[in-house]
Amino acid sequence: MSSPLVTDPAAAAVPVQEVGPGTRSAWRTFLRQPSGLLAALVLVVMVLLAVFAPLIADEPGGTGADVLRAPSGGHWFGTDDLGQDIFAQVVWGTRTSLLIGVAASLIAIVLGTAIGLASAYFRRVDAIGTVVTDVMLALPTLPLMIMLAAIVSPSVWTLTVIIGVFAWPEVARLIRSQGLVVSAMPYIDGARVLGASGWRIVTREIMPAVVPLIVVSVLLTASRAVISEAGLSFLGLGDPDAWSWGRILLNAQRSGVVAIAWWQTLFPSLAILLLVLAATVAGMRFNDIRDPRRNGG
Amino acid sequence: MARFVLNRALKAVLTIWIAITATFFLLRLLPGDPTTLMVEGDMTPEMRAALLKTYGLDQPLLEQYVSYLRELLHGNFGISFRQIQPVTDILLDRLPWTLLLAGVAFLLTIAVGIPIGVYAAAHRGRWPDKLLQGFGIGGHALFVPSVAMLLLVYLGAKLGWFPIGGAIDPDTRGAAAYLSLAHHLVLPVASLVLVQLGPYALTLRTNLIDVLGEDYIRAARARGLSGRRRLWKHALRNAILPALTLMGLQLGTLVGGAVLTETVFAYPGVGRLIYEAVGQRDYPVLQGAFIMLAITVVVANALTDLLYAVLNPRIRL
Repeated sequence: MSSPLVTDPAAAAVPVQEVGPGTRSAWRTFLRQPSGLLAALVLVVMVLLAVFAPLIADEPGGTGADVLRAPSGGHWFGTDDLGQDIFAQVVWGTRTSLLIGVAASLIAIVLGTAIGLASAYFRRVDAIGTVVTDVMLALPTLPLMIMLAAIVSPSVWTLTVIIGVFAWPEVARLIRSQGLVVSAMPYIDGARVLGASGWRIVTREIMPAVVPLIVVSVLLTASRAVISEAGLSFLGLGDPDAWSWGRILLNAQRSGVVAIAWWQTLFPSLAILLLVLAATVAGMRFNDIRDPRRNGG
Repeated sequence: MARFVLNRALKAVLTIWIAITATFFLLRLLPGDPTTLMVEGDMTPEMRAALLKTYGLDQPLLEQYVSYLRELLHGNFGISFRQIQPVTDILLDRLPWTLLLAGVAFLLTIAVGIPIGVYAAAHRGRWPDKLLQGFGIGGHALFVPSVAMLLLVYLGAKLGWFPIGGAIDPDTRGAAAYLSLAHHLVLPVASLVLVQLGPYALTLRTNLIDVLGEDYIRAARARGLSGRRRLWKHALRNAILPALTLMGLQLGTLVGGAVLTETVFAYPGVGRLIYEAVGQRDYPVLQGAFIMLAITVVVANALTDLLYAVLNPRIRL
């Protein structure tokens, strides 16, 4: 599922600026804003949790004596109906969510950028590319992903591919609209007059101009991918061998403890909220820096 | 007018055909043998061959495709693997519930989103606007089942204001039945609206602010029209059409959200059916449900576009 975006925060394509602020000062501007700093901190903490999960908590499994305990000093996030520690589940779930989010987003970015750039420069590609993009955007993606995930046995990698393959149209649309602006610029005509091939113009002249937009897309696409993964896991299509936030919610739903054990639904929900919010805010702040005219607007 | 309608209808049919064709070939080219999903335990080669023959899976791919399309055109979505009955019957049982849920959520998001967007645009930069910006960005991060479970636990289980599952109390008749229907609809609809509303109203507000900068609004101001009149009569009229289109584009996401909401509230729509079919790996049902939802979304989108054309004075049909 694509997340409930009404608009992509970066979708309002803005004219390309000539020379952006240097990378170092862009980072400084980014981190100087409280929201940018906070978002970056949350993302860093999430990555650390994912990487060092085995050091922070034992992998949840089996059954424990403390069943359905409320959060306490021993079990920070309480326990589920099997006596497993929810904190450990959430920490281990961070791994799956981040991994799938980042990897799926990379697939979507590569596909979307290739299709978007080709559409922006080559008329013939554009005819087909736009139709395919429009069709994909018009269809309900979640039921489609559910169907495919149910056929192939769900694992971290199949989920990544399925989510990535259906997340590219948004990226392609964004990159194409920006690429069209760049393609119309005089320096592209110049390159053509000098005899540059279409391939060279697309990869060497147009692509660098859309790189900042690609960075923004990575963050926004990853946050959509995290929501998609949670949705699929919640419907029972997650990797049965990997913990995920959606799976914790599914367990609560299946064991019928939603109304009793609030901790089993609250903490994974907060984790999803925090990660997606941080990625979205980081993407938007980055977008602001990319185009100073939008600052304070 | 006729030409516009025809064009739009053709585009819708093309989209649906691509969806059907793509899923047909995807499902058959993917690794995984559907017959292994139908029978539990071991299967003799003869049993497998018989099953393949029953479902026509021993035919060449292209022939399967043609006969699949022919059957679809006759409204036949195949036979469910688990419940031995036509998928069409199962789907038609469930579809009205999803249409009701998604339709009410769709209209309510627009009805509530417009005033919020207008109010924020009118108070640009002040606290109602800032609040909407936060809600608009935060809305992207809301996970439908999380919101649904929160509502279920507090408004349903703890306070007991609303039922926590199902779509209607089967013992009610007449007016009481409608009341029960509406009562059961509140929490599932609220989950969908809460998730969609913020980003929607925020986009509306941004559109409206753009419109407010246009010349005709300045002209209206020069003529001495009040701010309120400029906003509600002149600007809103031009902002409301994109608002409609925008919501039309969200239909796919809305339907995805409905699948998740229905699962949480055991609401008997297509979404809950999908959840059940996933558990049973009943893939004719999954395929049928996807195609049915795709048709719904594409048709609703086409209708939204038509309404847009009828309402927009700049397009003379």
